[in-house]
Amino acid sequence: MKHAAGWRAPALSAALFLLFLGVWHALTLPTGAQQSVDSEYARLVGAAAAAGQKSAMPGLREVASKIREHLKEPFYDRGPNDKGIGVQLAYSLARVIAGYLLAALVAVPTGFLVGMSPTMYRALDPFIQVLKPISPLAWMPLALFTLKDSSVSAVFVIFICSLWPMLINTAFGVASVRREWLNVARTLEVGPLRTAFRVILPAAAPTIMTGMRISIGIAWLVIVAAEMLVGGTGIGYFVWNEWNNLSLTNILAAILAIGVVGMALDQVLARLTRLVTFPE
Amino acid sequence: MSAFKDPFNPELRLARGCGCGRHNDQAEHDAASAPPTDTETLASRAVDQAVMRALFPRDETRRRFLKAVGANTALAAVAQFFPLAAAREAFAQGKGQIEKASIKVGFIPITCATPIIMAHPMGFYAKHGLDVEVVKTAGWAVIRDKTLNKEYDAAHMLSPMPLAITLGAGAKPEPYTMPAVENINGQAITLAVRHKDKRDPRQWKGFKFAVPFDYSMHNYLLRYFVAEHGIDPDRDLQIRVVPPPEMVANLRADNIDGFLAPDPVNQRAVYDGVGYIHTLSKDIWEGHPCCAFAASRQFVAGMPNTYHALLKAIIDAAAFARKPGNRKTIAEAIAPANYLNQPVTVVEQVLTGTFADGLGNVRKVPDRIDFDPFPWHSFAVWILTQMKRWGQLKGDVSYGKIAYEVFLATDAARLMKEVGLTPPAATSKKFSVMNKEFDPANPDAYIASFAIRRTA
Amino acid sequence: MNDPLIRVDGIAKRFPARGGAGTAVFENVHFAIEQGEFVCLIGHSGCGKTTILNILAGLEPASEGYVFVAGREVNGPSLDRAVIFQSHALMPWLTVAGNVAFAVASRWRGWNKAKVRAHCQRYIDLVNLTGSERKRPAELSGGMKQRVGIARALAIEPRMLLMDEPFSALDALTRGMLQEEALRICRETRQTVFMITHDVDEAILLADKIMLMTNGPCAKIAEIVVNTLPCDRNRHDLHRHPHYYRIRNHLIEFLVGRSRAFDEEAAARGYDPRHPPVVKPGLGEAMPEVSGAHAARPQPGAKSLRAVVN
Repeated sequence: MKHAAGWRAPALSAALFLLFLGVWHALTLPTGAQQSVDSEYARLVGAAAAAGQKSAMPGLREVASKIREHLKEPFYDRGPNDKGIGVQLAYSLARVIAGYLLAALVAVPTGFLVGMSPTMYRALDPFIQVLKPISPLAWMPLALFTLKDSSVSAVFVIFICSLWPMLINTAFGVASVRREWLNVARTLEVGPLRTAFRVILPAAAPTIMTGMRISIGIAWLVIVAAEMLVGGTGIGYFVWNEWNNLSLTNILAAILAIGVVGMALDQVLARLTRLVTFPE
Repeated sequence: MSAFKDPFNPELRLARGCGCGRHNDQAEHDAASAPPTDTETLASRAVDQAVMRALFPRDETRRRFLKAVGANTALAAVAQFFPLAAAREAFAQGKGQIEKASIKVGFIPITCATPIIMAHPMGFYAKHGLDVEVVKTAGWAVIRDKTLNKEYDAAHMLSPMPLAITLGAGAKPEPYTMPAVENINGQAITLAVRHKDKRDPRQWKGFKFAVPFDYSMHNYLLRYFVAEHGIDPDRDLQIRVVPPPEMVANLRADNIDGFLAPDPVNQRAVYDGVGYIHTLSKDIWEGHPCCAFAASRQFVAGMPNTYHALLKAIIDAAAFARKPGNRKTIAEAIAPANYLNQPVTVVEQVLTGTFADGLGNVRKVPDRIDFDPFPWHSFAVWILTQMKRWGQLKGDVSYGKIAYEVFLATDAARLMKEVGLTPPAATSKKFSVMNKEFDPANPDAYIASFAIRRTA
Repeated sequence: MNDPLIRVDGIAKRFPARGGAGTAVFENVHFAIEQGEFVCLIGHSGCGKTTILNILAGLEPASEGYVFVAGREVNGPSLDRAVIFQSHALMPWLTVAGNVAFAVASRWRGWNKAKVRAHCQRYIDLVNLTGSERKRPAELSGGMKQRVGIARALAIEPRMLLMDEPFSALDALTRGMLQEEALRICRETRQTVFMITHDVDEAILLADKIMLMTNGPCAKIAEIVVNTLPCDRNRHDLHRHPHYYRIRNHLIEFLVGRSRAFDEEAAARGYDPRHPPVVKPGLGEAMPEVSGAHAARPQPGAKSLRAVVN
């Protein structure tokens, strides 16, 4: 049974993927409508418009060749507004990592304090509850206004969206460290600092890492939107730029790239989580 | 060539019409008297003109003054109070040290920004000693904030924006200048293909229209246009702000019925078979300004040489772009992904004026878009009247003062007091919008003359 | 006799009840433990055994009363008293050696790594875990985990061990082996031990004195039973000793019946909680009569004892 499931799931995945591609291909087949305008006019408009239709969703082949094109030359740089998809991803990643690490620097120690002290927990809880549900992008105008720098603002938005899951999970992880481990430390007369680093931190690490994994997912979601908003560089800007050009082929290629990078980030965090998680 | 008239020629009127009276209009007169065409002379004329216009806002006074004392004496007299030579020199390339050669200029990817954009690939910035990075920006609010934040040294804006910024409407007040208009005309009303038969604006009740920004010529022109047809833009229509790149997608999804948008958005809607061009903006107001080259007062005052080199490069580029023969080359230069990111044919149709209209016709309108960098302050006054008409500005507006400060950016009023003159009310050319005369000297009466308006 | 190592003086634990007077889990608990003595505390769940152990360890404050260790009042945990927890409480992110070393390094802060390692190795060897030093708790069986717990407690060379049902989570075979080992180690090290257990046989095997606790609320120490079996007893021949069933039956009788109705009995006999009666089964002390036949027969209740106690 176990053996059978070993190949069944991937096979089903592959079948679903093929089905998706098939439906896509069928839906984007050219309709073979006749050209209804004179040739001078037809020269000036897109093929679909010349046939009296709206331009269509790109087909499989177009998207595939566009992806090949991007893969062939991912790091080109033709001026500040036209860089390869690899360069754009690197910009986005750099922003995400900067905002994310800053958030970790703030959230983990704060979460630690909050988790250690029930009073602090109760005192900070209303703030966290109010701030947590705010869409990170809502901070963008405020950030642009106060920080006066769009790149810093983008990093700030990542910071603010990564902060809450890490903070809450750290506080929760620290607050729910098993009493026995703390008792062991107490009976051994271990000081508060050593207890924090040698007992509470490793004990709460899996929960903290889970928060960090949630955060990196959110951060990657948000960076695309943030960059679409402020532009300049990054994969979000790339999507915006291609939207500007109504190039769905490029947008689809970008969507795929965003998905793959997002998955990779999640896997990295998942692996790190496994590294600090020890079954009892 | 309104921008480049010699202001020290007493025969010449800086306002509309021909100075000598022998020609039907100023352009003919200029053609006859063959004004200088090299950018150096043009640029120094622009400086002189700005100063003279500031000193003598009333054309009549200026001409009387010049006739009485002679042009040379006038020049010397003016030079006593205003360092004309210094200003010219600062303007001239290489004379003053450029404070900061490497600067950033933001733009929105629309053909209005043609001079700002083309100056990069076609080397106009380099020619004037600048290393300019032209940065594509996602929207007007962002370009405003990035410019206010000093991320950009100067930027492409909608011409009402510097006025709005200076007034603090929609942003915190910050003294802003608009040294040059980028383009005139070049916008259009585009409707969805499904409204092919609703050509008469009176049929548009309940339509949803998109404009790129609240403080845009597009908003004011659309409102003006429909209001002239008896449609109240606030009550009978929904006007939403949609960033230009999203307009075609929204039109395609039937979220909006049409838009008054900058090109290439209109042409792109035609290219994708989504919409048709209903009215070119030049048919609403021939020669209206649209987008502008804007910079903060701080930049203009703090880096005068950089500012002048930049302005000159843009005036230079605009002059190049005026010539129809250059338009195809420009289209090829600005269409790539680094700039507009559009198919070349779309940009070419916009710039050459030979275009598909979305209804199966090829139209030829060579002046569909044109480039004239001179910032008439009567433009500013008109914009202010529309801001007030639609309730964006409340209370009394000192039209002339704001127009001077923003559109010309001189310390004119102070200098005038020093030479014993009274700071004037606005003086500039008259023009008509949809056959209705606009007198910049009488803005409040103009507002009052509209039946549909939002003033108390 | 010198001062005992541990003197427990009238401790009580009360939890505040709604609307005034709190309920006491136990109260008026007095006892003493001599140096080198192995004392077991037996009682039903809910009588507060673990709380008493925690108070001795200094992990919980008593609501009333005092605990003295070597004449000094306890007001917090100390390296003097090592605790072996029921659920072993090993840190899963540390190896066997790491868990022991954590304790050793806490006890002797100045020691270098090599010294700590050598010291840990002694105790790992003592509990027969040689070769498993690099394993993490998850790779160990339940019995091995508890051995690590014992090694960790012993490694800090405490003045006394506090064990909270250390073998109750283990299967019968493993439990037996570990009990024997605990006996060996305690004999070798002359360790003073206070242990809580449910298991009557475990108590008889290991303890010098067995304290019986009545049911809560208001639990108290009913009797102190002195183990009258020889010191060199072991698991295999324990039951052959004539005193074995006497002790066993006495304990079971208490757990099955007397622990519940002790208050009436106490009133009838003039019970003094400061000096709970000391019983020495088989040495002719005043103890409830147990008939010979009764004692000889395997106790029907014995098998289900754990269930009863739990």
